[in-house]
Amino acid sequence: MTVTLLIDSLLRSLQVGSLYALMAIGLTLTMNVVRLPNFAHAEYITIGAYTALVVSLGVSSNPVIVLGAAFIVTALVALASHLTVFRPLEKQRTSTYTMLLASFAVGLILRYILFLLADTFELFDKRIQIPLEIWYRSNVMILTNIFFWVVPSSIGLVIALSLLLNYTPLGREMRALANNFDLARAIGIRVNRVVNLTWLLVGGLAGVAGALLGIYTSVNPLTGWFAILPVFAAAILGGLSSFPGTILGAYLVALSENTIMQILNSYLGLDFSFKTAIPFVIIILVLLFRPRGFTELLPGSRGLQR
Amino acid sequence: MNIDLTATLIALLTYFGIAALMAISLNLEYGVAGIPNFGQAFFVSIGAYTAAITYTRLLPLLAGQSFINPCGATLAQALQLRSDIMRTMPAVALGNFVITLLIAAVVGGIIGYLTSYVILRLKQEWYLALVLLVGGETVRIFVRGYEPVICASNGISGIAGPFAWIGNTQAASILFALLVLLLAAATFWYSQKLVRSPFGRLLKAVRENEQVALGLGKNVARVRAQVMFIGSAIAAIAGVLFALNLGFVSTNDYVVNMTLDVWVMIVLGGLGSSRGALLGALIITVLDRLTAITAIQFNRSGIELEFNYVRYILFGMILLLVLRFRPQGLLPETPFTTPAHDHLVQESANA
Repeated sequence: MTVTLLIDSLLRSLQVGSLYALMAIGLTLTMNVVRLPNFAHAEYITIGAYTALVVSLGVSSNPVIVLGAAFIVTALVALASHLTVFRPLEKQRTSTYTMLLASFAVGLILRYILFLLADTFELFDKRIQIPLEIWYRSNVMILTNIFFWVVPSSIGLVIALSLLLNYTPLGREMRALANNFDLARAIGIRVNRVVNLTWLLVGGLAGVAGALLGIYTSVNPLTGWFAILPVFAAAILGGLSSFPGTILGAYLVALSENTIMQILNSYLGLDFSFKTAIPFVIIILVLLFRPRGFTELLPGSRGLQR
Repeated sequence: MNIDLTATLIALLTYFGIAALMAISLNLEYGVAGIPNFGQAFFVSIGAYTAAITYTRLLPLLAGQSFINPCGATLAQALQLRSDIMRTMPAVALGNFVITLLIAAVVGGIIGYLTSYVILRLKQEWYLALVLLVGGETVRIFVRGYEPVICASNGISGIAGPFAWIGNTQAASILFALLVLLLAAATFWYSQKLVRSPFGRLLKAVRENEQVALGLGKNVARVRAQVMFIGSAIAAIAGVLFALNLGFVSTNDYVVNMTLDVWVMIVLGGLGSSRGALLGALIITVLDRLTAITAIQFNRSGIELEFNYVRYILFGMILLLVLRFRPQGLLPETPFTTPAHDHLVQESANA
């Protein structure tokens, strides 16, 4: 294996890992605050990517505007799916499986509406129109402006969310909800408001993550669906409750998908078509043998439910 | 342009029989026993892969011919051999079909039985659903990348039904449809029997409250393993029939969307009710065919709308509406009591 291949795969791990982290913390937040393993999260990612694509084609190619539009549209879609589907079902006191099934149904509907729209307006596998510039070039690596958009924005948003959760009243209320829903209600937290804001935040972050993913690769209606299982793997590695764990999990999943896959390919001849199976194997092994991820191993990551 | 009504009806009935088998299987596992099998497509695919293997390896053997590698350079030759045998040797074609069904049922059953180890280990409710989903996808990716099973991503074609030797295509497909319906009817009858048996009541007890069942001294782990054996065997049989009906085995068919289709069927029909599973399978099959026909009509009349996507939106909506407004389904599970139970109720009413 050449140095170029190694560095290339490490850079990819860093970019993809940052995106997974951004997607996975939203998922972790949903799972803790609203107690829903939300498979429709995949479609929030896709919707973010498509919003960014449409804005970049029709309005402006300024990355801030593109990402902002993705945040707003996806936040609204997430809130709408909560208000129309998940909240009424919760009120019926349905089982977790029913909620899981409902999230699959929401995802299916959104995904195929996107298919219909993409088909009508011929928007399959398009790139988000942000001009590509090469910022750094040497004989082992090339860094583009996209790299400097994807990685710092993802890391920045992850840090911002952690700060929000730890140091603001809203964050405290979210953690209270994650810890004990009934108690949170009893001490006078306006539960509905906090849950709605959580959905807006989760949707918005997924949307931005989708837009960044679309900038990094290209956009099609399955963009989010292909990302969601690695993202679940990241969240599961983090024990589904801790932010530091989830972030570490995201980079580990990305590293095994890119760098470890590259190593396996170079030395054992493993075909790249097996790449998609790597996060799946991680999910299975972690859930079977270490169902709490590495929350216990990380100091200071007692999780959201403390 | 009109549609060949007879052919459509035959196709519909065949699909319905296969869908009914899948729905009865999932209804036993989730509806009755409470095991959320989100890997149903995987258990169906076991049957399809079995068929791919027996039709390329066992069939020439039964006909006294030597094995030809179905992939790569000898692909056409192997395909020709398969089709010759199936068209000229009825006994071999039928024998191979029966053996395929048996092998698929046993292999599916054993894999289902082993899956119960996973159930044992996972305590969190939805982890099991995720592991079954992801496990199925992992196997799918493996089969897609590993040539010996079904020639990797190329798939295996030319796997005809057991009646190809009749010569008349329509007669062969009618016979196949009848055979599928017969198998579905037998499975339905069996599942009704099972649900009403003491074993069925035990399954429902495990579904309702595992702790109570354990407290009564029931071996919950073994009960779950048994129902997974039965359910997966039925799913694998459905997989054989699905592959034969399509004439083609490819990993692209056994994806999460197939699993979701079966879930829509049993939720729509009514969880825990075998009659519900049949009704759900019927409604979903009819809607599936209707959307497919509409899509073809649209394409012919030059309308640009890709109607096939509407199918998934429709099924998603059905699922959400049923979960929200009729969670018990169209034909809800009916409480089935024993004579002894009725007697006790009578006595306590008299007292």
